[in-house]
Amino acid sequence: MSTPAYRNKASLAACVLFIVIGVTAFVAADDFSMLGSVFPKTVSALVVVFSCLWLLLSWIKPRDMVRAVDGSVLRQVAVGLIMLAWAFLLEPVGFLACSVVAFALLLVVAHYGSCSRRMLMLYAGATVVVTGSLYLLFTLVLQVPLPTGMLR
Amino acid sequence: MFGIDFLLDALTPLNLLLALGGVIAGTVIGALPGLSATMAVAVLVPFTFVMSPATALISLGAIYTGAIYGGAYSAILLNTPGTPSSIATTFDGYPMAKQGRGDLALTLACLASVFGGLVGAICLLMLSPPLATIALKFGPIEYFWLAILGLTLIAALSEGSLIKGLIGGGLGLLLSMVGIAEVGGDIRYVGEFQPLLGGIDVVGALIGIYCIPVIIGLVANPDPHLKSASTRNGFRLAEAFGALMRSKVNLVRSSLIGTVVGILPGAGGSIASLVAYSEARRVSTRRDNFGNGEPDGIIATESANNATVGGGFIPTLVLGIPGTPPDAIMLGALLVQGIRTGPTLFSEQSSIVYTFIWGLIIATVLMLPVGLVIGRYAFKFIVGVPKALLVPSVAFLTILGSFAIHNNPHEVQQMVVLGIIAWGLARAGFTPSPIVLGLILGAIAERGFVQGFLIGGARGNVPQEFFGRPIALGIIAFIVLGLLYPLIGARRARKAAAATTNVTDRRP
Repeated sequence: MSTPAYRNKASLAACVLFIVIGVTAFVAADDFSMLGSVFPKTVSALVVVFSCLWLLLSWIKPRDMVRAVDGSVLRQVAVGLIMLAWAFLLEPVGFLACSVVAFALLLVVAHYGSCSRRMLMLYAGATVVVTGSLYLLFTLVLQVPLPTGMLR
Repeated sequence: MFGIDFLLDALTPLNLLLALGGVIAGTVIGALPGLSATMAVAVLVPFTFVMSPATALISLGAIYTGAIYGGAYSAILLNTPGTPSSIATTFDGYPMAKQGRGDLALTLACLASVFGGLVGAICLLMLSPPLATIALKFGPIEYFWLAILGLTLIAALSEGSLIKGLIGGGLGLLLSMVGIAEVGGDIRYVGEFQPLLGGIDVVGALIGIYCIPVIIGLVANPDPHLKSASTRNGFRLAEAFGALMRSKVNLVRSSLIGTVVGILPGAGGSIASLVAYSEARRVSTRRDNFGNGEPDGIIATESANNATVGGGFIPTLVLGIPGTPPDAIMLGALLVQGIRTGPTLFSEQSSIVYTFIWGLIIATVLMLPVGLVIGRYAFKFIVGVPKALLVPSVAFLTILGSFAIHNNPHEVQQMVVLGIIAWGLARAGFTPSPIVLGLILGAIAERGFVQGFLIGGARGNVPQEFFGRPIALGIIAFIVLGLLYPLIGARRARKAAAATTNVTDRRP
């Protein structure tokens, strides 16, 4: 049995956003040379056309088939924010310090239910082993200069 | 002429040991998201300078072939392609893993990779000079149409809606234009943000777009991340071999596609696997299963990407033109060893070349036990790791991997931002694959289009330049076929369904 179609508001909002992006990209391409503007103008025009088409077709009849599985939105947003902070603080704070904190925070967010003492020890050990071993592998073996930040 | 002497040279204990070590190292590096085959070869090149030329080449070839295969592990188990070559492996590999068939998917990937690798290496051994001339016939126009052929795959990757797939593909194409244009040198869509001048790195974007939504999605509920294959034990080798035998045409076709695409400089494993996947889906009777855990999808992508290894060496050795980025690094290693590539290489330094090719074949065969053993334990390990530990560990790898590409913290930021956008778009019903496809193929398509436009303009006939070349016409025919075939197939299916309904209605 097929899933009934529905009207996904997020999908419609995304299409409106794509129309804005497409129009902006098309207008910005006016500043490029003739050769440099052919492709951006063509592609941005197509993005606008297809987005309008989707909006129109969805207005006539609901078309979205796959519903997003929600679960805990709060935890998902928390993971996104931790990842953003990790990426942007990598340089000023330093790779190791930043990574240990972010690793521990993600662990807390991803854990469900109560946490026994044994589990806590396992998590603490895993944080040290995973971050430490990969840090050493990249800095010593692969010679990747990871940001030292405040530890410099 | 492909002499047993050279085979015996390749079979020395040292060469065998280095080939085995190279395959293991390459597989492990390739399995880590962000660490591509190029990086695996680049990092380990200095260790080969103290070796004899043939031994050095065998080690590097083994690392390369292992890394291309290793990308399948994270693609299947984490929905994150370890290397760009394994993007298409995620389409069916991860659904199989979620259904508890991850062990079968890994075994299939291993068998298909070995077969594809052997086809590429045998073509390298027997057909190098004639095949290398094919590469010389590919100009900007042919690359443009090849990229368009790849973009038609959007139709196959659009789950639920073709229009949404096209919008996603357009977004990917726009992302590929950020930075300094290759032809003309325009600075596009950078604004005041200087780090974007270099453009959006494909590998970093790939990690973000595929991996971050998975990491975010994992914390949504306490359910296990993968189903355990509790009823089965072992490698599921017989089952995988059976599936491979049933799909032998797909296997051979995909391996040949991989070899030919590998020969084309700059095309590489990602395009090869996408084209092979598209062809496998187009001709399959189980077309609707593709994207939902269809073994034929894995067979197509993994045989094609490993076939590019041998294929890529053909222009590298015969013409001195690297077929893929790792080939470019190996070309450098060859020069350090004092080997001059070119048409005379096969006659003047035949012992080195043929020993290397036999070594590559041996390394590919060694990939079978190595891949099966690592695959079995990788699946068990990933299934057994608590989700609370898996989430930060994978996140850590994505941060490390995206930083290590160019040692650039801005690429980590790009990766995370793109990943969060991809997560938001997934909630709005947009799948990541068309975006990635646009991002990868955008630069190739635009470069080919602009160069072709300039050449056509100089010759006074632009349409003739785009539509008058035999190879280009051949590719255009495939594009038209690829676009029309689903429509014809759907019409046939409708007719068949209508006929079945009529028969049922007539029954008393």
